[in-house]
Amino acid sequence: MNKILVGLLLGLILGAIDGATAWFYPEAHSMIAGIMVGSSIKGMVVGLLCGWFARKVQSTKWGIAVGAALGLLFAFLVAATDTVNGKHAYLEIMLPGFVVGAIIGFLTQRMGTPGPATRGTL
Amino acid sequence: MDLSDSVLDHLRHIAALPDLTGTRYDLEAEIGRGGMGVVYSARDRQLDRRVALKILDAALAGEARLIARLEHPAIVPIYETGTLPDGRAFYAMKLVAGARLDHYLARSPSMAERLRVVRRIGEALAYAHTTGAIHRDLKPQNVMVGEFGEVYVMDWGVDAVAGTPGFRAPETLLDQSSDIYSLGALLRFVLPAARLPALAAIAAKAMNAEPAARYPDATALLADIERFQEGLAVEAWSEPRWHQLRRFASRNAVLLWLLAAYAGVKFLLFFLWYL
Amino acid sequence: MDRDTAIGGPHDHFPSTRLSLLEAVSTGLPNEALEHVIALYWKPVYRFIRFKFRKDNEDAKDLTQSFFTSALQRDFFTRFDPAKASFRTYLRMAVERFAASRHAAQNRQKRGGDVQFEPIEDQAVTTESPEQVFEREWQRQLFALALDDLRAHCEASGKQLQLRIFEAYDLAAAERPSYADLAAQHGVAATSVTNYLAWARRTLRDLVTERLRGVTSGERELRQEMRRVWT
Repeated sequence: MNKILVGLLLGLILGAIDGATAWFYPEAHSMIAGIMVGSSIKGMVVGLLCGWFARKVQSTKWGIAVGAALGLLFAFLVAATDTVNGKHAYLEIMLPGFVVGAIIGFLTQRMGTPGPATRGTL
Repeated sequence: MDLSDSVLDHLRHIAALPDLTGTRYDLEAEIGRGGMGVVYSARDRQLDRRVALKILDAALAGEARLIARLEHPAIVPIYETGTLPDGRAFYAMKLVAGARLDHYLARSPSMAERLRVVRRIGEALAYAHTTGAIHRDLKPQNVMVGEFGEVYVMDWGVDAVAGTPGFRAPETLLDQSSDIYSLGALLRFVLPAARLPALAAIAAKAMNAEPAARYPDATALLADIERFQEGLAVEAWSEPRWHQLRRFASRNAVLLWLLAAYAGVKFLLFFLWYL
Repeated sequence: MDRDTAIGGPHDHFPSTRLSLLEAVSTGLPNEALEHVIALYWKPVYRFIRFKFRKDNEDAKDLTQSFFTSALQRDFFTRFDPAKASFRTYLRMAVERFAASRHAAQNRQKRGGDVQFEPIEDQAVTTESPEQVFEREWQRQLFALALDDLRAHCEASGKQLQLRIFEAYDLAAAERPSYADLAAQHGVAATSVTNYLAWARRTLRDLVTERLRGVTSGERELRQEMRRVWT
């Protein structure tokens, strides 16, 4: 399977699971559906970018680093635009986003068929 | 008059030295002695380079032709074959600068390096078998590791070779399967004292007393070593459950660490939230 | 072309003229085979008997003589199986059996009296086993015979100079002269010394091989024995 497609799927699944963990916070129960959708979209964007990167660069180390950075960036954007009980949950969104990004970055390196001719290494 | 011991020894020595008159080589020194002949280092005057000269019994000249047919990076190339004025056959080959495998192992190379050497030997063997050639006497003394890591399998066999105890297959008539046995013995030889069960099992399968129970060819043995190196289950060993788990964990160590990190982060955040 | 004058030329080794031991026996030439065997083995057998059974000089000679005249007369050659052992080993074991039975018979005759063993002067200075002594003597005799052949060959082919240079260099008991000294001494170029020595050594090797051929069962045993001889 194409690495970009793999990234999208992984982002969707892992994003949804990450979002679903909000269920452990009773105050978030009412918003769980929205959180899951948002988290899935964030995951898919990170996955898409990681998949694209994995086609260009074959390196587990860099895959993890780029995935983590993208995860952190998009989690920040989500945390900055949203509030829970009137406060921004930077830490609660960005820290898991960082790790999930790293996981997506790692898996897009390992899974899927490498992209066409333009391969490079860092 | 009786010959004194010292004169006798001298005569035995000079009578054994190859007479290189009429050839392009100058004798330098003896560098090895095997069942089939003696190997000397010599200088090729025409090309001004050093070569290894193997002097054989005349009846064994076929050995040179057999090896000359083999063209592989891990098989020492033959430059020339010929007959000495004294009737003995010889062949000139590349003089390999390096260490014999048994001496090389004394330097304690890494496991990956040991397996690389075995794989190179196996590749040479697999190639030779496709041409119908059989080594018959594969042992550490017949493998050289060059100074740049290149591996050479030497002393390709002749019918007269009986093999070496410890590396020779038990069957009377040696064939390609007997070489697989010797390759297994060589794998066992290169493994350090604390053996890994999967590799020991590969060696044991190759060394099965029953030829039919061994690997069908050198490529199959190499594939099993490759599987071991990639962290996959090897054909030769039905591993216990704990070993499967350990192998899974070591193969997926990075992913498991990342998942553990995620779980750790989530736990931490949950408790921080309600502090 | 006279093969023997082509110094350094290729393939000037002797053609094989001698029959192997078994060929000689099977083609009805057992006497010739016996001759070769006695020429090579008389001394080793004598030394072996002296060492192994501690015989004095005369007894050892008598035993050796009777071994070659009686033991070898019977079906000695036909009982030899090259697959089991080399002829050298086969003969040594036959000597051992023969001498042991004679030795026992002699001791029976002397029963009641003290059996006196002759002191053997050589035994004090060697740690070799009788078998090692036998093999060593066998090699010594092999080369002595081949040297005789070389001398005869040089005499017949007018190569006395080559022989003298070879003897001066390769048979030197003490320090070997330099090639330059030999060249000056014999009035030849130093390169000739190299060539003469190469020729003589090659010829000696051929002659040793020929001698061996006469006392071995065939090519296989010949090769094995050659490997034992060359160091």
